[in-house]
Amino acid sequence: MEQHTRRKKWLWLLVTATCALGFLYFNQQTAHAEPTYTIGTGTTFEPYEIESKDGSYDGKNNGIDMDILKAIAKKEHFKYKLKVMGFNAQLQAVQAGQIDGMMAGVSVTDARKATFDFSTPYYNAGEVMAVDKNSKIKSFKDLKGKTVALKAGTTGAIYGESLQKKYDFKIKYFNDSNTMWNDVHNGGTVATFDDGPVLEYGILNGVPLKIVTKPAKTTPVAFAVKKGENQELLHKFNAGLASIKKSGELKQIINKYLNGNAVKTDTASQRTIMGLIKNNKGTLLSGLWMTIELAVLGIICATVLGVILGVMGISDGKALPWTASTITYIFRGLPMMVLAFFIYIGMPDVIGQKIPLFTAGIITLTLNEGAYIGAFVKGGFKAVDREQWEAARSLGLPYNRALWKVIAPQGIKFMIPSFINQFIITLKDTSILSAIGVMELTETGTVIISKNMEGFKVWAIIAVMYLVVITLLTWLSNYVQKRMRV
Amino acid sequence: MDKGYKVQVEDLHKSFGDNEVLKGVNLNVKDNEVVCMIGPSGSGKSTFLRCLNKLEDPTNGHVYIDGYDISDPKTNLDLVRQNIGMVFQHFNLFPHLSVLKNITLAPTQLKKADDAEAKKQAMHYLDIVGLTEKAAAMPSQLSGGQQQRVAIARALAMQPDVMLFDEPTSALDPEMVGDVLAVMKRLAQQGMTMIVVTHEMGFAKSVADRVAFFHDGLIQEEGTPEQVFDHPQQPATQSFLNKVLNV
Repeated sequence: MEQHTRRKKWLWLLVTATCALGFLYFNQQTAHAEPTYTIGTGTTFEPYEIESKDGSYDGKNNGIDMDILKAIAKKEHFKYKLKVMGFNAQLQAVQAGQIDGMMAGVSVTDARKATFDFSTPYYNAGEVMAVDKNSKIKSFKDLKGKTVALKAGTTGAIYGESLQKKYDFKIKYFNDSNTMWNDVHNGGTVATFDDGPVLEYGILNGVPLKIVTKPAKTTPVAFAVKKGENQELLHKFNAGLASIKKSGELKQIINKYLNGNAVKTDTASQRTIMGLIKNNKGTLLSGLWMTIELAVLGIICATVLGVILGVMGISDGKALPWTASTITYIFRGLPMMVLAFFIYIGMPDVIGQKIPLFTAGIITLTLNEGAYIGAFVKGGFKAVDREQWEAARSLGLPYNRALWKVIAPQGIKFMIPSFINQFIITLKDTSILSAIGVMELTETGTVIISKNMEGFKVWAIIAVMYLVVITLLTWLSNYVQKRMRV
Repeated sequence: MDKGYKVQVEDLHKSFGDNEVLKGVNLNVKDNEVVCMIGPSGSGKSTFLRCLNKLEDPTNGHVYIDGYDISDPKTNLDLVRQNIGMVFQHFNLFPHLSVLKNITLAPTQLKKADDAEAKKQAMHYLDIVGLTEKAAAMPSQLSGGQQQRVAIARALAMQPDVMLFDEPTSALDPEMVGDVLAVMKRLAQQGMTMIVVTHEMGFAKSVADRVAFFHDGLIQEEGTPEQVFDHPQQPATQSFLNKVLNV
């Protein structure tokens, strides 16, 4: 009995801690004082954004965008918090009100003007075509019948699309420059269209491509907010920009990056596996930690939801089992990435409130994994002999007591293998959350590669890290399983 | 309804789909009375017993336990069940709990006794069924006969007014049957009200106050053991007894 009480206390503690933690995260993200803005920016957009070695923008050479933003914020006395995510995710996040504005080398286009308000442009970028450095392609005509790599949603993509008909090539879309450039280098695609400065800077830092056309379609680059919203921020930005333009600070910043003065990211000795690990230790560990945090909290919340669904699933009557199986059907049926986008990008429009990234990630995991857990919890309860119910109820034990004291302890034995399986799946599924920009281990890998282009080595490091964690989890699970059998 | 009866059954019907298993059964059981229900397999006697504590929902008719109508939604079924012990053909001990915990679970959960008191009582009932030395054992370590005696102790620990036995010895090896029947006989002698569905004619003959012969969803004939066994009136009863007694 004493042991029971202790176990119950422990459980309560866990549930309370979980709720408190969730609340904390929620608060952390929403309870900001006015003058702090959340501003989105990209992971891989040199020379606009250049992350320091630990994956943050705290270093010396942070790129044109970051330096301008910093200078303007200083002049105009506002604070900002950076939200690092993919370009498309940023566009959507601004529209959904998840972030106040985006500073990510955004080109001003007519289409975007319909849904965004732009600041005064701080730079003019032209689109160029780049090919592998050993490629024989020299002009648009050589593209006929071949495939071209474009970064979805960018001006480079719009430029490429406008040429497609005339020059008769196919298009393959990517989400970040480095994967795209790698693809061109590896021959998956033959050419890419991208912003001139971005490509120039990349090539300067070792991207094995060459630029074969003159800049075309020069478009202004500006800071963007949602149309009609955050006008105060926009005004501050314009005022600050005007003042750094006047002082010559703006020119200084741009020259710093486009004259090749910026420090190259890594030297050869830092490109061995050990060198990469050493250099990116902080980023890798914080990514790993985020993955573990997501997995642990996700598993706990999903288990709570799963048990509720399981209990509903076996209850008398029709309404509760029907509700449970409908919920299970929906969330088991949806691809997790769609669910993540729906919650993070879609829901804020409906509920009129931002959902913090981490919370959105946890909700996604909870609903998806919880639906699976619900199905096998129900199955586990049902696998217990019906006569056990009869024996318990005939003693006068009410339904709930019979369930928790007699059926559940037996049913759990049927569920344990499924639970262990689900825990491992949950850990792996956290990587899907990189799609909405959660800085977990997989996203960390993308970011690191964006700086050094060492795809094979970095993904190998990441893969080993996942395997180590999953091995530990499997050992732990087996240990628990053994103890429960005794 | 007559308050004088412990168990009163009026025109009980039970159908599973189109199959009518009970076709209007009436039975009254007085305090301290032992009623044995005999009859061929599939005649409905187990279903009848399971209707008495509503493990099966009767299609029609009434069951009164201590005067409470158990099909009345206002009746607290859990409370009524606490006063009806039930022993199953397959024992149905809780396999994840020790023998002692099997017995103390319901009394402690239902606040009938604190831990110490429940344990003391459990040992008392284990003594009655002759298994005190098995208190710490797990059900899987016991023979079928021992498990059934623990199941009886578990039911007794709720201090019920009525005990229902659903073919308590049919799943046992022959050498185990005697011990279980001895325990039941002692209970009967101590005045427990019992309704026993059984194929043990010897037990019915020597222990029952009344024997009811079940056939085709109805009680065809009832009376003292002498009346039913020695002078059966109905052809169905005669035919059944011929089969089971003169093997």
